[in-house]
Amino acid sequence: MTTVLVVGVFGLVAIGLYGLLIVRNLIKIVIALQLLTKAAALAMVVAGQVSGQVNLGQSLALTVIVADTIVAVVGLALAVQVRRRFGTLDVRQLSTQKR
Amino acid sequence: MAGALSLLVILFPWTGAVIVALAARRNPRWLHLLAAVFAAAAAAAGLGLLFYTGDAPAVTLSLGGAFGDFTLVPDGLGAFLAAVAVVIGSLAVIFSADYMRGEAQLGRYYFLVLLFIGSMCGLVLSGSLLLMFIFWEMTALCSYALISFYNDDPKAVAGGIKALVITQFGGVGLMIGVLVTRAALGSDSVSALLNGADSLPPELLSLIAFGFLIAAAAKSAQVPFHTWLPGAMEAPTPVSALIHAATMVNAGVYLLARFYPAFAGVPGWTTAVVAVGMLTALMGALMALTSDDLKRVLAYSTISQLGYMFYAIGVGAVFASQFHLLSHAVFKALLFLGAGAVIHAVGTRDMRQMGGLGSQMPFVRGVFIIGVWALVGLPFANGFWSKELILEAGLADGPAWAYIVMLAVAGLTALYSFRMVWMVFFGKAWTGRRLHDAPAAMRGSLGLLAVGTLTIWLLAEPFKNLLASSLLRHIGEAEGSVLLAVLTNPATLLALGVIAAGLAAWWWRESLTGVANRLRFIAQAAQADFGFEWLNRQVVIVTHRTAMTLRTTQTGQLNWNAVGIVGGLVIVLLVLIVGG
Amino acid sequence: MGVKSLMLEIALVFGMLLCAVMVIRAGRLLAAALWLAGVSVFTAMLLYRLGAIEVAVIELSVGAGLVTVLFVFAISVAGDQGMKVPSSVPKPLAWGLLAFALVLLLYLTLPPPEVSAMRAEAAFTETLWQGRALDVLVQIVMIFSGVLGFVGLLSESKSEQMAAVVALAEAEPEPPAEAAVTEADALLEQEPV
Repeated sequence: MTTVLVVGVFGLVAIGLYGLLIVRNLIKIVIALQLLTKAAALAMVVAGQVSGQVNLGQSLALTVIVADTIVAVVGLALAVQVRRRFGTLDVRQLSTQKR
Repeated sequence: MAGALSLLVILFPWTGAVIVALAARRNPRWLHLLAAVFAAAAAAAGLGLLFYTGDAPAVTLSLGGAFGDFTLVPDGLGAFLAAVAVVIGSLAVIFSADYMRGEAQLGRYYFLVLLFIGSMCGLVLSGSLLLMFIFWEMTALCSYALISFYNDDPKAVAGGIKALVITQFGGVGLMIGVLVTRAALGSDSVSALLNGADSLPPELLSLIAFGFLIAAAAKSAQVPFHTWLPGAMEAPTPVSALIHAATMVNAGVYLLARFYPAFAGVPGWTTAVVAVGMLTALMGALMALTSDDLKRVLAYSTISQLGYMFYAIGVGAVFASQFHLLSHAVFKALLFLGAGAVIHAVGTRDMRQMGGLGSQMPFVRGVFIIGVWALVGLPFANGFWSKELILEAGLADGPAWAYIVMLAVAGLTALYSFRMVWMVFFGKAWTGRRLHDAPAAMRGSLGLLAVGTLTIWLLAEPFKNLLASSLLRHIGEAEGSVLLAVLTNPATLLALGVIAAGLAAWWWRESLTGVANRLRFIAQAAQADFGFEWLNRQVVIVTHRTAMTLRTTQTGQLNWNAVGIVGGLVIVLLVLIVGG
Repeated sequence: MGVKSLMLEIALVFGMLLCAVMVIRAGRLLAAALWLAGVSVFTAMLLYRLGAIEVAVIELSVGAGLVTVLFVFAISVAGDQGMKVPSSVPKPLAWGLLAFALVLLLYLTLPPPEVSAMRAEAAFTETLWQGRALDVLVQIVMIFSGVLGFVGLLSESKSEQMAAVVALAEAEPEPPAEAAVTEADALLEQEPV
């Protein structure tokens, strides 16, 4: 039961990290970050179950979800502004931009 | 009372710093006045603190389990050094009112100076190693900013960065020592290290001891870290007086004196301190002899005198080192401020372009000669007593090779001091415009310091009693009158003889040109800073090349950064698995 | 805990991971955002089954709802470039690193301890509002910064004005003070793109 969940959490982490390694589109990088934070929220609740501190784990998961949403909002705002300013979302091209 | 005073001695300068910074756009006259008032208040608090010393923490700020308690302990040693810092500091601030007249950015200047004074007091009063480290770094930061005060001058900026880098290197040594202490003893209070040193494993204790020695040597400009001090001469002269006489360079000596009881038993440590002090004293004196820049001569002489203090600590004469620190703080501040008055009037630091200034600036000449009198160690200025005390302790307890060198350095000190006085105030007359003697605020500071130079040794007995609680408890220095001991010891005559030989060498320098020519290679080596500048440059070049090579790893691409993150994760996991 | 429940659990995890894979594989951004909503839904279901009902509801409404709307909005503003470009990092390296990390992680955590006996605990709301008051405070600050970020997302007209200003500034010859900066940039540009 818990084993399945742990494998699920780490699988999600691995997929999210793979996205960070491979993806070059800024918005898609934000999406990959979302996968990672979802894994974190799930991990909090599972850890709360395992350690017997269910409510502590849940309240921390709530914090993670809030942070996750804010990351999405700020990341997307940045991506949109970058797109406007530089005309591209490709991080490889962005790394050589001036300004 | 002790708690309030030890807080005030830090908070007066800091409050002044903030207020001056906020009032930076006001009339400069207000800035001078504000800074002087706060510095004088701090000086009053510092002198008051001398009457309320005690070994118990006077102020305690609990920071919970992770950091322990931050404490201020105004014991004899700390209160004494705090008093030196605030009194000399306030005189430098008052001197600045004339020296910095008409300069731009006075707000920044006074902010940094006052912040510096407060940090120095915090450093010596701190009873917790972590807090001490914080203040230590604050003084390094302020000194960097003050050396680079004329930040449109590339030499000043380079000097500041050099000082920052070298003292940071020492700061790493201090940090290692503090962290090891904390890990091994579970507490980072100063008293815990002093009392618990015997229970530490020997290799850990020597790690702490040599870490502290590196920190002290870098801060006090000892070989091989001395190269930053001459570069620091780009600072405004009152800052040089403050840093090189009253505060920053004393921090290293303070560190060694404070922890001497803990480290004295570490094999090789005292010998290392003696060797560092001896080499520094010798090389500083030789470089002072061959330099033509007035402030550089004073800087090298500071390095040399600090070598004396290190030497004294190395042979176990901690009281003598602190006594010499007191003497040196007073007469070196006098010399620096006197040099400042000269430079302010003449507009150059090159002694070859001076000469015969004495007739135009009789007051400055008078006080400068008093300062040199003490620097050389002629009776009965304050430097005489303290230097003799050091040399006698070295003869009694130290290795003979070191004593002989230190004795010779006393002669060299006489030689370079009289060369300096001659080149500035006597000899061929200066051909420039008419000069004014020092203005009022300068005169006030200089006069007070000159009186102090001539009389402060009268306080030797109270000074010894003051330090007794914090130093002699551990060390048990000789009983009886300090002054009488100096007078009755035959070694005094020996030292005076060497000093007289130094004087004679300057007097008959014409007939000694043959010897001088034969020793030219030493002079050339001294002018080249004995290769340490070259060493510094090599370090910089190697660092720079390494950085340029490593730069290829910084692609600026998000994906590769993520590879770094995952790689770090793998390493952490491996460590967790292997380390169990 | 019956076999049926375990099967359901495995199915939910499998669905979640499948959606996550599709997020990465999706060619168009819009599709990726929608697959992400799918991940969110499966996560919320798992959370519900773990008894974290409040968290599950919030995850469903915020994670699957609000965030998806945000993504769709941002993609519509920024444009959905179908980016079929080769990755900078060689794929075998990425695979190798991640597989290694995953093996290490699972080696460290498996088998996990089973659910231990419940400790006597305060109710969820009580834990949240009293025990974790600091977290709540930080969340409020974060939400505030999120609002600022959202304003940034919407501030189209203003940034266009800024772009006009920047364009004007560009028309003028570059001041020599920036010479050092441009030199460094020139060095950067020498690298093969």
